[in-house]
Amino acid sequence: MNKLSENVKYWNPYVGGVLLGILLFLSFYVAGHGLGASGGINRIAVAVEDMVVPEHVDKSPYLAPLAGGDIDPLNNWIVLEVAGVMLGGFVSGLLRGRVRLQTYRGPQITPRTRWLFAFAGGVLMGYGARMARGCTSGQALSGGAVLSVGSWAFMFAVFAGGYALAWFVRRLWQPGA
Amino acid sequence: MSTVFNLPVYGAGILLAAAAALTLYGQPDLDQKWGFMAAEYGARLENREVYVDPGELLQRMNDDYIELIIFDLREERDWNIFHLVDSERVSINDLPAQRDRLRNLSELSVVVLVSNDEILSTRAWKHMMALAKPNVYILEGGINHWLNVYGVKHEEQDDHAAASLDRPDGSLRHPFKYALGARHAAAQPDEHHVPQREYTEKVRLLKKIARAGGCG
Amino acid sequence: MAPYDLAGTLGVTGSYLVYLGIGFGFGFILESSGFGDGRKLAGQFYFSDLSVLKVIFTAIVVAMLLIFWSTALGLLDYDDILVNETWLWPGIVGGLIMGVGFVVGGYCPGTSLVSVATLKIDGMFYVLGLFVGVLAFNETIEHLDAFWRSSYLGRFTLPELFELETGVVVFLLICLAIVMFIGFGWIQQLIYGKKDPE
Repeated sequence: MNKLSENVKYWNPYVGGVLLGILLFLSFYVAGHGLGASGGINRIAVAVEDMVVPEHVDKSPYLAPLAGGDIDPLNNWIVLEVAGVMLGGFVSGLLRGRVRLQTYRGPQITPRTRWLFAFAGGVLMGYGARMARGCTSGQALSGGAVLSVGSWAFMFAVFAGGYALAWFVRRLWQPGA
Repeated sequence: MSTVFNLPVYGAGILLAAAAALTLYGQPDLDQKWGFMAAEYGARLENREVYVDPGELLQRMNDDYIELIIFDLREERDWNIFHLVDSERVSINDLPAQRDRLRNLSELSVVVLVSNDEILSTRAWKHMMALAKPNVYILEGGINHWLNVYGVKHEEQDDHAAASLDRPDGSLRHPFKYALGARHAAAQPDEHHVPQREYTEKVRLLKKIARAGGCG
Repeated sequence: MAPYDLAGTLGVTGSYLVYLGIGFGFGFILESSGFGDGRKLAGQFYFSDLSVLKVIFTAIVVAMLLIFWSTALGLLDYDDILVNETWLWPGIVGGLIMGVGFVVGGYCPGTSLVSVATLKIDGMFYVLGLFVGVLAFNETIEHLDAFWRSSYLGRFTLPELFELETGVVVFLLICLAIVMFIGFGWIQQLIYGKKDPE
């Protein structure tokens, strides 16, 4: 599983960046706003919660605007976009034979360890994305492209947080020393 | 190897050039932005669709159902002499600062722009359309016309002669004895004691287009 | 002038198809760039793989130029497009937390979806974590409500902050991106002693 040889199969990041930039522009042009992801996750989570404890959702000031009463939290552009992302990722993977049940992990750890930390990372991300009111797609990419101050501050904070912790979790990713 | 390296360099060069050109070309100011919109929205001015009769404005001032916002675009001196009750003085250059407020107005909101004639208020209307496209109208004939209709004789110096509207020059052509601002009777005419006017109703409530967006 | 009322013109179903399409493009590009692989993403924080930096900043720069050239030419209405409002400190704190989550989990929400779509189990655990994370936030934020609503600056843009023209800000950001690409590349070479093939 040589990382370098796998890179050859992927697009040049500049190419990916240009295409993504064009797509981002088209999104603004056609829909008046950029991309997103964490908002869709949030809405799905709220929808599930609404099925289980609807009275609680109705009473929460954070959830009621999304799903209180008859409001359908899934009836929103971002849920459709999230579905599209999965579809697009699937098709791209399918065309290149990358759809396979497996675990991507650093060579020093077991799959189980990877699963644990992936879960932990997801929890942090989910929490942080709500705190920041967006994620790399919605805030960094979209907000960044339209020069929002908060989005740029957010973006630098993400990089800062990642680099600050990188050394401490290097065993998750680095080859054995 | 060297040709592969050059491509990102050329790419960076192109991007920088595009940004430099963008700086030189500049972003449109409100007047220029209106220029892009004039084809679509200019007819409303030409057809007088957005000019409201003083009688209609008076009716709207007493309408509890709507949220009426009156922006008075005139200079402070004229404002101090006379202005409509519950109006806000806003300089045309300060309109961009109102942008967020305008974008967040409710469906029941009605904005009316007021100046001495129609010159300043019409230009402000274009700016507001360029800024936020709110539910905005212009007082027909301006303050001069309003005072022709609702002015009170004893408050004005020349016994309330009607101001001429033929050659509007943006000046207040009703000489008041005292600068009372909104405390003049004409600032809040009693609709039961002034003659009823016939006019075509122009003001409508607009349905807000739900603006999608936002990831969080 | 764009943007147009999508739902009004195409109907709700039509607009949803457009969003599906946009998402499709997004996911396709992400997967094609290798971002369904957490190792590639995490590599950013060890300087072994700079794709994340390159894709994000290239995309932002390209989109910026297209957007602001469109507004300059009267094709797009800058006042009508969504510019994320700024809550400064919640954004920064949330960003820091997300940065940690990024290097620990190896994905961001968008790329994790791509990972799940290609049946990566680590991606699935990550997405599960996402749901738990947002749930945890929604149920506990009342205690941090004051903070979450603090430092609100509204729709605040970089040109407004620095009192510079839009074009100048765009130019400077491109310079920043170039400096970062070169700088990070040097660091990469320093650590790994190999020249970045891109």
